[in-house]
This record gives sequence, C-alpha cells and structure tokens, in this order.
Amino acid sequence: MTDTTDFDFEAEALSYMDQLYGAALRMTRNGADAEDLVQETFAKAFAAQDKFTPGTNLKAWLYRIQTNAFINSYRKKQREPKRSDAETVEDWQLAAAAEHTSAGLASAEDRALDSIGDDEVKRALSELSDDFRMAVYLSDVEGFAYKEIAQIMDTPVGTVMSRLHRGRKLLREKLRDYAAERGLYEKAPVKKDKDGGTCRA
Amino acid sequence: MPKPECEEALDRLFEYIDHELPEDEIHRIGEHLRECPPCEAEHRINEKIKRIVNRAGHDVAPDELRDRILTTIRATRPDVGA
Repeated sequence: MTDTTDFDFEAEALSYMDQLYGAALRMTRNGADAEDLVQETFAKAFAAQDKFTPGTNLKAWLYRIQTNAFINSYRKKQREPKRSDAETVEDWQLAAAAEHTSAGLASAEDRALDSIGDDEVKRALSELSDDFRMAVYLSDVEGFAYKEIAQIMDTPVGTVMSRLHRGRKLLREKLRDYAAERGLYEKAPVKKDKDGGTCRA
Repeated sequence: MPKPECEEALDRLFEYIDHELPEDEIHRIGEHLRECPPCEAEHRINEKIKRIVNRAGHDVAPDELRDRILTTIRATRPDVGA
C-alpha cells in the first residue's frame, strides 16, 4: 500500500475506466475483446501498483499497460499483418506540402466535413492500421502530448509525429471518400504537381 | 511554388494544432495563417477533423465490466473487504 500520501490508487485508476474502454474499443474493434482488454489492464495495474509513483501521470501509465497488453495478446490473436512504420519524417513533410490545394476545393471539403457522422469517423478510424489509429486516438480523443504518446506506445517522439501525420492524412482521405460517396464532395482528379501545389496569397 | 512561409506552416500544421510548438513558432505560424487563405483553409480542415474525431471518441464502459473489475479488485485486496 502507498503510505504517507492521500493518494487513492484504486479510486484514481477506476476513474479512467471509460477512457480505457474507449481506447480498447478502438484497439480491438470489438466490444467483447475490449472488455477483456480493460479487465486485463486493471488486473495488471493493480498487481503492479507499487511500481507507480504517486504524482506522476497515472492516466498515461494505465494506457501504457493497456497498449502493452493489447500488443502482447490481442494483436497476435487478430493475426493482423504488422505494418511497417519505416516512413521517414521527409515523407510526411512532402505529403503535407502537397496538400496545398485550391480554395474552392478546400471550402467544399470543409463544408462536407460538417455532415460527417460519428459512425463514419469510427469506421474511418477502424480502417487505419493499429499504430496510426492509436496515435490519432491518443492525440485527438485523449489529448495526450506527443511525449506522453511516445511513452505509451514505447516509441520515439519522431515516430509518433510520423504516425499522426500518416494516420490523419489517411483518415482525411477516407472521410473525403465517404463524403464523395454521399455526393457531398466532388473529388478533384489527382494531379501530381512536383512543386506541391500553389500558394495564391 | 509555395513560399517558404507556406512550407513551414504546412510542415508544422499538426504540431500547431496539437499545441506542441514553442511560443515564437506559434506566433509566426499564426501570423502566416491569417495572411494566407490556402494555408488557413488547410488549418481549418485539419482542426475540424481533429474535432470530429474527438467528438466520435467518447465511450462509456458497460456496467457489467465495471462490476467485474470491482469484484476482481475486492477479491485480490481482502483488506478493503466489508
């Protein structure tokens, strides 16, 4: 038991159950597996609570345990082919520059996003690879800083940034596709401009 | 050709949106976004996507799961039992 502090590990840890469950749903993409994963996470967290230092980031600590548990049991079980994360910083920097599109297209996309529903967002996320999906989820839903995501995913900050860039770019493409399917957005023919588009300001 | 300021703003856009940049860069990029409609359009779209991902992300753990976890904890910690 922790002594000398008022820190209530049990109460604090349990207060993150909804968030861990949400993350588990995104990780496993399956309600039953998500429940098992959260249960395993809490079992491991309580067994290891002596290793937690009160005053440090409990939420990130719990996410780290859950991420490890997911990698060790569920990902293997799902037999998902492990995707390569060998992309470099330069890759996504080039990709970002290429997104400088025309004003008309951008405002059509902006408007189309207003009618994207939660189910479509969840579907788009579920189609990303585990690493991209979790990086986006941890940043956008949980609001973790890059440094915290790096700890949770046990990877350098540069890799977190790369996963976020890649993941968000793919997510955006999927949302564009959904909007186009519903006739909300007309996709422009892909025109590769080696200079990466034009700035008209 | 995108201007160097555009390249910087677009390269740093996600870090800008995620509040991961130091003050001076936030200031410089923010200033560029106000002056450059195409960069600002990119900024707005990416920020909107972050917002809708956030909105779609919140789930509530089922009661049975909560009960199961509490039962497990109580079982492993007899000192807090009734």
